[in-house]
Amino acid sequence: MSRKLTVVLFAMLVLVGAMSLKTVVVTHSDGSLIMANGGAPQPPTPWPPAPGK
Amino acid sequence: MLGPYEYAVWLLCTLLESAVLVCAFKRGALRRYLLLNVYMAASVLVSLARYNILNHYGFTSKEYLYFYYYSDSLLTIFLYFALASLYSHIFSDLNAERYIRLGTVILLSGTALFSYAVVQQFSSKLVTHFVVELSQNLYFVGLVLTYILWAAVLKMRETRTRLIQLVLSMGVYFSLFAANFALQNLYQSRGSFFEILTPLFGCFLPLSWAYTFWNVSEEARTMPSRLAVVPR
Repeated sequence: MSRKLTVVLFAMLVLVGAMSLKTVVVTHSDGSLIMANGGAPQPPTPWPPAPGK
Repeated sequence: MLGPYEYAVWLLCTLLESAVLVCAFKRGALRRYLLLNVYMAASVLVSLARYNILNHYGFTSKEYLYFYYYSDSLLTIFLYFALASLYSHIFSDLNAERYIRLGTVILLSGTALFSYAVVQQFSSKLVTHFVVELSQNLYFVGLVLTYILWAAVLKMRETRTRLIQLVLSMGVYFSLFAANFALQNLYQSRGSFFEILTPLFGCFLPLSWAYTFWNVSEEARTMPSRLAVVPR
């Protein structure tokens, strides 16, 4: 049981770490997205940029 | 409008992705690293489908736009499972397969829930927002997981060279995109320069995996360096 709880804790910690890292990386973002699969040309985002961006 | 550079890099990327499958097949690593190869096969198929849609509907069409983002999300999920399979390889001696599977599912569900919580405020295009947000969040989860895996490789003094190279190349791949994206946002006046680099970085992972499957045998071992004790 404790092993399973450790796995859950680990998963939550990774999620928190990843979202914190994302916040740091996209702080100054203009609304563009990271696309990290293959070399296909990236189209514009499916929605208009937020006002003021 | 797309120029010859974009098409050339795209073609190069697709060829390298196919090369990974060929190299893995020739070196007998197709089944051993099944999820890595499934990701590469999916990348090739998605590339072909994207090209087909681009040709039919054009770069600025909604068809290409939606297919691009939805397929990217799918590929990120495949990449996430490929990374989880590397965890299984590294921790194979500890008999932790069950816990890795559990952790993989919990983390994926947690990321999906978090993504939904972020996008639920949008009344229109909720599904598209969710798909793109999930892809972005999974990317960062993959980045953190790769660093943790690398720490585990060092801590456990893993010696399997092929496995080490696969993990390292994944770490470099994720880091390249994250650094490029951060710099692109930091220096927005030079944004076009970083945009040129992005598709080129996409070729790194298939190139390094193809090299690893072709040149590094399963039996190859790397001895981690140790500090020498020098008598004084």
